Amino acid sequence: MKIGVYFCKCGTNISDRIDPQKVMEEITKLKDVAYFETVDFLCAEEGKEFLEKDLKKKKPMRVVLGACSPRDHEKTFMNVLSKAAINPYLMQMVNIREHVAWVISDICKASDKASAYLKGAVARVQLHEPLKPEELNVCPDVLVIGAGPAGLKASLSLTEAGRKVVLVEKNPVIGGMPVRYEEIFPNMECGPCMLEPMLGDVLHGDNSENIELLTLSEVVEVAGYLGNFIVKIKQLPRYVNPKKCIGCRECIEPCPVSAKNEFNCSLDERKAISFAFSGGLPNFPFIDDKVCIRTKGENCRLCEDACIVDDAIIFDDKEKVIEKNVGAIIVAVGAELYDCSNLTNLGYGKLPNIYTSLEFERIIASNGPTEGEIQGFGKKGPRSIAIIHCAGSLDKNHIKYCSGTCCQSAFKFNQFISKKLPNTKIFHFFKEISVPGKETFQLYNKALNNPDSMFIRYRNINEIDVSIENGRLAIHYSFSSGKRCKSTADMIILCPPVIPSSDTAELGSILEIPADRYGFFEELHNRVDSIQSKLKGVYLTGSCQSPMDIQNAMNQGLAASGYILSGLPEGKKLEIEPIIASVDEERCSGCRVCNLVCPYKAIDFDEEKAKATTNSVLCQGCGTCVAACPAGAIKGNHFTVEELLAEIQGVLT
Amino acid sequence: MTKKPGLSMYWASSCGGCEIALVNINEKILEVIDKFDFMFCPCLLDTKKKDIEALPDKSIEITLFNGAVRTEENAEMANLLRKKSKILIAFGSCSNDGCIPGLSNLYSAKDHFDTIYLNNPTVSNPGGIVPQRETEVPEGTLHLPEFYDTVRTLSQVVDVEYFIPGCPPESNQIWDVINSVIEGVKLPPKGSVIGAGTSTVCDECEKIKEDKKIDRFYRTYEIIPDTKKCLLEQGIICMGIATRAGCGSLCPKVNMPCSGCYGAPDGVLDQGAKMIAALGSILNLEGDLTEEEITGHTNKIMDSIPDYAGTFYKFSLAGSILKNSVRK
Repeated sequence: MKIGVYFCKCGTNISDRIDPQKVMEEITKLKDVAYFETVDFLCAEEGKEFLEKDLKKKKPMRVVLGACSPRDHEKTFMNVLSKAAINPYLMQMVNIREHVAWVISDICKASDKASAYLKGAVARVQLHEPLKPEELNVCPDVLVIGAGPAGLKASLSLTEAGRKVVLVEKNPVIGGMPVRYEEIFPNMECGPCMLEPMLGDVLHGDNSENIELLTLSEVVEVAGYLGNFIVKIKQLPRYVNPKKCIGCRECIEPCPVSAKNEFNCSLDERKAISFAFSGGLPNFPFIDDKVCIRTKGENCRLCEDACIVDDAIIFDDKEKVIEKNVGAIIVAVGAELYDCSNLTNLGYGKLPNIYTSLEFERIIASNGPTEGEIQGFGKKGPRSIAIIHCAGSLDKNHIKYCSGTCCQSAFKFNQFISKKLPNTKIFHFFKEISVPGKETFQLYNKALNNPDSMFIRYRNINEIDVSIENGRLAIHYSFSSGKRCKSTADMIILCPPVIPSSDTAELGSILEIPADRYGFFEELHNRVDSIQSKLKGVYLTGSCQSPMDIQNAMNQGLAASGYILSGLPEGKKLEIEPIIASVDEERCSGCRVCNLVCPYKAIDFDEEKAKATTNSVLCQGCGTCVAACPAGAIKGNHFTVEELLAEIQGVLT
Repeated sequence: MTKKPGLSMYWASSCGGCEIALVNINEKILEVIDKFDFMFCPCLLDTKKKDIEALPDKSIEITLFNGAVRTEENAEMANLLRKKSKILIAFGSCSNDGCIPGLSNLYSAKDHFDTIYLNNPTVSNPGGIVPQRETEVPEGTLHLPEFYDTVRTLSQVVDVEYFIPGCPPESNQIWDVINSVIEGVKLPPKGSVIGAGTSTVCDECEKIKEDKKIDRFYRTYEIIPDTKKCLLEQGIICMGIATRAGCGSLCPKVNMPCSGCYGAPDGVLDQGAKMIAALGSILNLEGDLTEEEITGHTNKIMDSIPDYAGTFYKFSLAGSILKNSVRK
């Protein structure tokens, strides 16, 4: 076999430490090495030109390059091989710069080590097979799960680029959590006003015909892979025809039954036919069949009677399962707050006037249960309000991490309270203060400078005891010195950490994407690739990936759509890297050892044949299954057992 | 009458089970004798070494060589039969991979002699006499073959055409090989494993296999397994996943774990290493574990295996890539 070896001096980076002459003498002794060329800069334009010409002239069957890290220039040289009409996988690159020249000062030792590595490459490259990328037709459409800030941003940017989006939202309204907030930190903008233009664009903007919005819907089944997912979506009946309803609200008043309104944290009630909250979009009501007396057999038609248009109410609406074909999936299902009743010492749920930050958001919202009024304390309002930060965060008994957003909410409340109730004192009980970024500190400063606010650093949330004393809330706590102290307040706002929403785990198992140790969806890499999930084609955005603010959620939505626009090009075929694993059916015994090892979910089990199968689209060529397969039935392209052994033997001889 | 092709069978360092496996083909042995000139088999026939030495080279059609090469005599016979045979078959686990004799490679020859002849509670040897290669007696010099420092497989000593694995090879498999020679079936390429499958024991095992996540291992006396389910999934180290098919899954069928006598399947270089890699892939290490906890948990699981060599390399230590480099 004719093998050509090229030695790149990398200027003097390599040749200062490794003697090319000495290496050449060693390597040209090998039986199959036809020639050995030394080049100054193989990656420079002249270097690449020389390589291409030389390959065309000498026509080697295999090529070995002693140069820098393959991470630097493997692709560069593979392209040169392709230009010279040699399959790029018939090359082996040896990193004699980082692995040898830069770490060994003795020129003799370095030259010997470089020779040994090159011998390994010469031995292995002979076994290389010409590999070809597989091509695949792709569906360019995208499924977005969750219509909060991240999902909305992603949907809008994708449709702006001409893509079709299926936007699935489990609630009857879109906008996620921020549309329920009166004001948004750090600049105290009105939440609904800030998001309304986006919601409007989704519902009736320039590209809205490319967004298929499915409210009251959940993804129930997903099969397939990047470029070709088949998704089943279950949509609950709304009993209201969005094409007919004009959102006039005439139907609400006559409805004879009501139940707690979970969209207002159950602080008030809503009718069986209702809007989630006023101003919620899309602007038409829904009938909750768990509340409506028609489902209990009564023939009530009061809402229909009150309706001023025909056929807007559909009593026989049914649950539907909708099937969609998409090429990529964006997960934007958001998060929820840690349940404060786990902190039994704080009295939440047992004592009056103790609210979570989300409940307080709804109380102060003008479209909330009290239309923005803090009730029950007379005209002057409460004498004092205590805001307890870190209500469960940074605590080994509750949630270990810091959400990074709760302090900002707390300081937002400080401003709001002082504006609304100028005589009310505000206590900030905190374990740590977290106000990162270029804007947030101003909120903190305002709270610090507010003459009505007081900051108290407690030692441990578990040492705080809340009770009723003389009709007010008494808060006993410990300073860091251990000294016990007491403060009194009329209202307590707890700022608990953000945790994965309760249906994250189920959605994770439907999508087959793993969760991290805290239950959030796990990213491919927490620094360089936090938008990609471990499953190719499924992207993570917003607080289902990690606690985050609206700015970050929007950015992630945009980033995910960027990933899809660049990685799933419309009309083009998807090229699949050929360094992947494949199962030899003859050798596979169906023992199922490999079934769970794949971090990319690329291994499936064919029950009928009782054999494992690999999916070339999902496979990343990591080799975990190759090592696991006890039957030697799984082959890792380009890293076969034979190739690796030949390389080891080559190095050792 | 044309001359019948010659057949021989020899035992080197072995237990005799391979010969029993051959005669376990029962009345078919008559057909063997009808088609072959069964010329040499110290266990069954009276022909001697000198008779074989007297034969022209390559005059035996097939030799089934069982047993590992432990002594100088084993090596001498391996070389002799190699010279006299057209087709030399490594027959049974000992000659294939070293089998139980191969486990003695964890100790040197001197260690063995010390244990057998000197430091042994049931031995009284005040003179400290151990076997010598040459001993002078009044009548002359006595010679004993050398007891090598390591056990080798047949192919580590001489060139081998084919390999029939198993401890012992299953009689039906032996018959299939003999019968295919009788019927003139084209022989596979030199170096092939014959009389066995290419995949693993699991292929022949009817137990229900599901996804595997193992919390701990059990020794067979510690657990009464669910007889319908894969034994490995229940924490019993069944080597079936890393063992060549061919036995018909005899042991798992009666709820005993496979111990690996058919050796590595096609495509696996080292049965023990492969088994360990596979087990590493199915240990249950899920949940919120730190690096230290993972190490601790893994060590705890591994500590429940009392004998690594005897578990993972029971039949293949001498033939493994570890070869003879590991000593206790």
